[in-house]
Amino acid sequence: MNDIGDAQRAGEALDATHATEDPFAAAIRGTRMPILITDARQADNPIIFANDAFLALTGYPRGEVIGRNCRFLQGPETDPATVAEMREAVRSGRDVSVEVVNYRKNGSRFWNNVFLSPVRNDRGEIIYFFGSAIDISERKAERENLKSDIHVRAGELELALEQKTSLLHEVDHRVKNNLQLISSLLLLQTRRTRDEGTRQALRSMLERVGAIATVHRRLFQGGDVQRFDVSDFLRDLANDLAASARRDDLELRLDLEPVAIPASQAAPLALVANELLSNALRHAYPEGQAGQITIRCQRRDGEFDLEVVDSGVGLPPSGDRGGFGLTIVQLLSQQLKARLSLEDAQPGVRAVVTLPTTA
Amino acid sequence: MTHEGPLNILIVEDEVLLAVELQFIVREVGCRDVGLAMSSNEAVELAERLTPDLALVDVHLQDGPTGVEAARHIAKDCGGVVLFMTANVRRLPDDFAGACGVIGKPYSEHGVRTALGFLEVCLRTGRAPGPPPLGLHLSPEYRDLWGADVAPAA
Repeated sequence: MNDIGDAQRAGEALDATHATEDPFAAAIRGTRMPILITDARQADNPIIFANDAFLALTGYPRGEVIGRNCRFLQGPETDPATVAEMREAVRSGRDVSVEVVNYRKNGSRFWNNVFLSPVRNDRGEIIYFFGSAIDISERKAERENLKSDIHVRAGELELALEQKTSLLHEVDHRVKNNLQLISSLLLLQTRRTRDEGTRQALRSMLERVGAIATVHRRLFQGGDVQRFDVSDFLRDLANDLAASARRDDLELRLDLEPVAIPASQAAPLALVANELLSNALRHAYPEGQAGQITIRCQRRDGEFDLEVVDSGVGLPPSGDRGGFGLTIVQLLSQQLKARLSLEDAQPGVRAVVTLPTTA
Repeated sequence: MTHEGPLNILIVEDEVLLAVELQFIVREVGCRDVGLAMSSNEAVELAERLTPDLALVDVHLQDGPTGVEAARHIAKDCGGVVLFMTANVRRLPDDFAGACGVIGKPYSEHGVRTALGFLEVCLRTGRAPGPPPLGLHLSPEYRDLWGADVAPAA
């Protein structure tokens, strides 16, 4: 049998053993943290003590708190699972800390961070439960706001990314179409040109544009738009140049290790490779003389070599090496911070461009 | 599907300089260039009238990105084989709208020549002479149809 009278008496008994000058009791009574004590030995674990902070938080007068089980703070939005968790902790005599929706006397709801812990006597029996409450409504609201902010922001970013991606595709598309247009223009003019020197010059320009076009065809093919694979490119380039050279008697040997370079270096490197290879195809072996040209791509410590080797007629005397092709190779090697070496391979020419590889 | 005589080719391309250059290549490889369309309506109309063996179709035409639907119609109703030539390879549907494949722009003159040579054999004999040349990507349907999966002879 238990009634408010029993709880009140238990509370008064507790009070009596802790006089006003007891500093621990004074601290509990006066702290800003809402605190209550329940009597574990009475049926339904009624509240026998609540400090002023608890009354201020919940809006109940002391008389409406003492003698009741804590569940009067619950309401429609209280999560039953959280209540069950507290009940289970009390039943098995464990500490528990939960965040739960509670209601004040005036019906307003608040998020309560409840901490409950059992108090035992000398024999280890649970005699009281000590409870503290913290109003965390503001913190909760901030967290919710933050969550919805993050959600909105993520949506905005996704949209922006989508627009960027489709813009990239659009630009990629235009670049490719324009390169195609430039190639077609050069081809059309080549067809109408009778002068052999001019035809040669136009053909060379067409090959250069073709090399850049091959770069762009390959540039966005892989998953990584920042990196460019040199060996794949060289295979494409060699195929195109060999075919347009119309020299079935020349054998191209490809010895290519995969090497990735930054996309920004792809076009200049492509132009260098194009000059070296088309020069070998055109000048190494006079018409009617069969031969081999080797294209090698090889990694070394922090560097890689791009090598074009033939066993043909060899380098022209140094006075005759002023061609536009060589100028392009020299200038772009400088731009790429590459070392260029042109040597007599006896027989033939061995051209090596050594580039730093970036991590 | 087998074929006698030169292939009849319809070019569907809204960039006239590209189209003219393609006409040159088509003639140089021994095919017959039967017409040029710059919009999807023209493409369908010419394909219905001329029943080309092969239509080279760009995705972006004068009336917008209508090449895919034009290709679907030509492949389905005009009895012609379609080859896409586009810078927008990624935008093609998985079934290639019934086309046999695609050449990505920017293509090289040599790339187009070898692709046309390869397709000519496929159309004449119903079999691929080997794997498709570099730059030509066949649709799954035509890869099966022409048996172009075979690895090149060593």
